[in-house]
Amino acid sequence: MASRGGNRSRLLLVLLLVSSLFLITLDLRGVNLVSGIRNGVSTVISPVENLFSKLFSPVGNFASDVRNFRQSKKQVTELNKQIDLLKNKQVLDEDMVNQLSQLRNVLDLAGRGGYKVVAARVINRGSAATFKKTVTIDVGSRSGVTKNMTVISESGLVGVVKSVTSNSSIVLLMSDPTFKVGVRIAGTQSIGVLSGKGGSTYLLELLDATGEIKIGDALVARGSADNRPFVPGVPVGVVTTVQSNSSSITQNADVESITNLEKISVVAVVIAAAKGDPRDSLIPKPQPTQTVYVTPTPTPSPGD
Amino acid sequence: MSRIRVLNTSLFLLFIFLIQTSLIARINFPIGGFSIYIAILMVVLSLEDRNGSLVFGFIGGLIMDLAPSAQTPFGQWALAMTVIGYIFSVNRETVGDFNDRPLALTSLVSVAASVSMLIFIVIGALLGQNNGGLLHSLSIIFSNLLWTFLITPIFIPLILKVRKILLTNRERV
Repeated sequence: MASRGGNRSRLLLVLLLVSSLFLITLDLRGVNLVSGIRNGVSTVISPVENLFSKLFSPVGNFASDVRNFRQSKKQVTELNKQIDLLKNKQVLDEDMVNQLSQLRNVLDLAGRGGYKVVAARVINRGSAATFKKTVTIDVGSRSGVTKNMTVISESGLVGVVKSVTSNSSIVLLMSDPTFKVGVRIAGTQSIGVLSGKGGSTYLLELLDATGEIKIGDALVARGSADNRPFVPGVPVGVVTTVQSNSSSITQNADVESITNLEKISVVAVVIAAAKGDPRDSLIPKPQPTQTVYVTPTPTPSPGD
Repeated sequence: MSRIRVLNTSLFLLFIFLIQTSLIARINFPIGGFSIYIAILMVVLSLEDRNGSLVFGFIGGLIMDLAPSAQTPFGQWALAMTVIGYIFSVNRETVGDFNDRPLALTSLVSVAASVSMLIFIVIGALLGQNNGGLLHSLSIIFSNLLWTFLITPIFIPLILKVRKILLTNRERV
């Protein structure tokens, strides 16, 4: 009897393993049925994700809030002082105001670059189990979004659209370790490749051995053929550390992203790029420093 | 194992999957992340008989393959989870009953969740996928191990109760 049970288990195991391999083969051969199932699930899930996004938007920052508890406590004390001043004013939903501000800024950036964009809200983040840094946005093929389109935020590059359903899209974030983008140092012709490292810092490998990198250099996307996946001129990041190594053929540098990918809630998908390259026009201009003149009060002398 | 229980448990796993993709995934856990779905699937597998471990491993993996954010071939998680189901089924008699040993169950679930992710990575590597380097993947697996170990004890009693409800009358006896 035990042997019969064991044989049955073995047969079941073989059957399931073969089924799994069959499904993988179908998917790798590009059978539409498999991608259709995923798209179907995405279409069903995205309204639920939208609902959860509205209900639990503060939950996402729970862990980071706990980490920054001490700092938050100090901020709470300061904010408590301000509450009295704000009592008589109409307080709008902070989240909504933030999103509106991000939307205005992202449309402003797109307008300056001459990009035709579709604005979108971030409705979910990719699970850690997928081993990819992704976000889900609430626009899809119905809004004209297709695969390999550039996604920007109010400050600059966010990532690239990797898959699209009718009403949602998956965006591969630039922080993903597999992400690479061709960049140019603003104000120069030096070009390089920027790679994600999984966190908030990035690695720049300058292709021109004679080129010079300085701390504070701003980087913009070089753009791809037919503007897919990258449109030119989008701000990408700022050089924070230059790795000087005389034995290396290329020069490397650490770069900080211009966009805080952990905090983005509103983005825009570039549907069509500008006719010309906007060059460095999208780099944020440094704020002019204000000079304050102080005239010392004459101190009375003992004789006065 | 009756068909009705296969259906019930699959729907339960689908519900957990929905919670994972819609709610848990949006929490920024430090280091890497946490998958409540994998943890609950491991609890289910650890409580099943030999055939149950295999079947629910496969079904659980198929549900994971449905994740819209997954950029991996459909069936990769099913294969990984079937292997994990097999490991559970082979060692079912060795590990024994967990009802009186919650810490042992938590440890097993945490390790099994990490092993399942490791198998997934290995299968991915065999299929030529680039998941951003071994260190990056290992940090995600380690983070998941840590969070699973810390969070699983909170919901284990609930899962045990739900499983009792999902059993048919004959299976309860």
